[in-house]
Amino acid sequence: MQTLRELQRSFLGRLLQQPSDIADAICSTPEMSADARLDIYATGYRLRLMEALETDYPQLHAYLGDALFERLMNAYIDRYPSDTTSLRHYSRHMPQLLRTLPPFDAHPILRELEEIERGFNDSFDAGDAEPVDAAILGTIPPEDWPLLRLHFHPSLRILHHRRNAFAIWRALSDGETPPPVVDDPGTWVIWRRELVSRYRALSDFEAEAMAGALQGETFAVLCEALLQWFDAETVPAQAMQLLQNWLAEQMITAVTVAD
Amino acid sequence: MTRPFLGFGLGLRTDHYGYIEEHHPDVDWFEILTENYMVPGGKPLAHLDRIRADYPLVMHGVSLSIGSTDPLNEEYLRSLKALIERVQPQWVSDHLCWTSVDHTNSHDLLPLPYNETTIEHTAARIRQVQDYLGRQILIENLSSYVTYRNSEMSEWEFLGEIAQRADCLILLDINNIFVSAHNHYFDPLDYIDAIDIQRVMQFHLAGHSRSGPMLIDTHDHAVCDPVWALYRHALERFGAVSTMIERDDDIPPLPELRAELAIAERIAAEILTPAQLETGAVRCQGIA
Repeated sequence: MQTLRELQRSFLGRLLQQPSDIADAICSTPEMSADARLDIYATGYRLRLMEALETDYPQLHAYLGDALFERLMNAYIDRYPSDTTSLRHYSRHMPQLLRTLPPFDAHPILRELEEIERGFNDSFDAGDAEPVDAAILGTIPPEDWPLLRLHFHPSLRILHHRRNAFAIWRALSDGETPPPVVDDPGTWVIWRRELVSRYRALSDFEAEAMAGALQGETFAVLCEALLQWFDAETVPAQAMQLLQNWLAEQMITAVTVAD
Repeated sequence: MTRPFLGFGLGLRTDHYGYIEEHHPDVDWFEILTENYMVPGGKPLAHLDRIRADYPLVMHGVSLSIGSTDPLNEEYLRSLKALIERVQPQWVSDHLCWTSVDHTNSHDLLPLPYNETTIEHTAARIRQVQDYLGRQILIENLSSYVTYRNSEMSEWEFLGEIAQRADCLILLDINNIFVSAHNHYFDPLDYIDAIDIQRVMQFHLAGHSRSGPMLIDTHDHAVCDPVWALYRHALERFGAVSTMIERDDDIPPLPELRAELAIAERIAAEILTPAQLETGAVRCQGIA
């Protein structure tokens, strides 16, 4: 007689299409064999995981078309049994699969599209934090400015792309034919403002400053970084402009002074 | 024995957030799907807080995996407790099933063999969860499609014994009784008539579909007439029990579901007295 643990392992193995003797532990009836009864669960398992992947990647699905996306989903489900209690997080290994599975691995644009959709999904239900008002800048004593640290909304993430993935994603989202893949290096930011996810391109210097700020660099260090693009006289005004934009766009949720 | 009677509710679904917040429909309470709100923030929790301000809520989970032979998932339990703190639900439920083993999740409600070993194992885990949460939980009966050879009793004996040993409450899904009765050839009235009246805190109603000789618990149809007949029988036995309709696929506009809920109200009004149907008050359970 199987123990409960053996029975559960055997049942799950059947769902995962592994060798399993679970049918021996199930009663067959005249209308339906044990195997046919177990098929109800096995089919349901796959359909639920497919639905989770389709929910997370509507534009990757549109870009690949039904047949290729189904091939991708089947490979994903075979390789990654769910290790999460919520289907919301089931797709988290997709970047790894797109990097390694032929023929998808030969098309890096797919990884960039995946990153966009994952970025929006993660920003959608990232933690809450109240944005700070731009008026805070008027309250900071001059001697504190070099030591300022900016704290961004938990939903904010920066994406570095080498191709026109956002243009392709936007066309797909609008139901239009996507443009051909071209090299178009750029940096993008995704964040949530008033519960709605937003995105926009970042200039080179803004991307550098934002990445530094996200890593906890002080305002003085950000200004120093901007010297790559601006002369020393214009850096403070440029840095202030960036800060004001980020505050106006509700990206910043706290401004503190480093010890 | 007393138990609260919330009246007639619906499952809270994302499709209906806008309608509920704009129109404040006449629904006594909503049941939320616990895992949908185990997220750090954003829209799901913002809608939850707004709707919670206007309606009583109960929490209904699918991932407790109470019958699993894995250790209880502490991270899940911590999230569950945190969400309970936030929502302050009237009560919390999950299913009498297992969903995962070796930390691999089937995302399905898988049946357990009905025998003494499983009863002891599952009742002990329910007690552990109740101790951790500091409250009784409700466990719900499943729709199932297999019978294990090592089952030694009926499903209702299994459910009743676990509820008694764990001292937990029962969420009785009338549609699941109907579906399982069809799939496993038992009389659904035998099931209902065997359940301890005092442990039933909530009823689920739902639709199902047919696949070959089997009925499948799909929640994508309206409640069918035979399930309404069973509901009538259940009310006659259990008295006023908080009742809600679950709909998870082909979800119609909320007014359509509200109209379906009115059928439950009409049936209850035929069987129960106005005093029994008074919501908000803690009601005496006086049926023998």
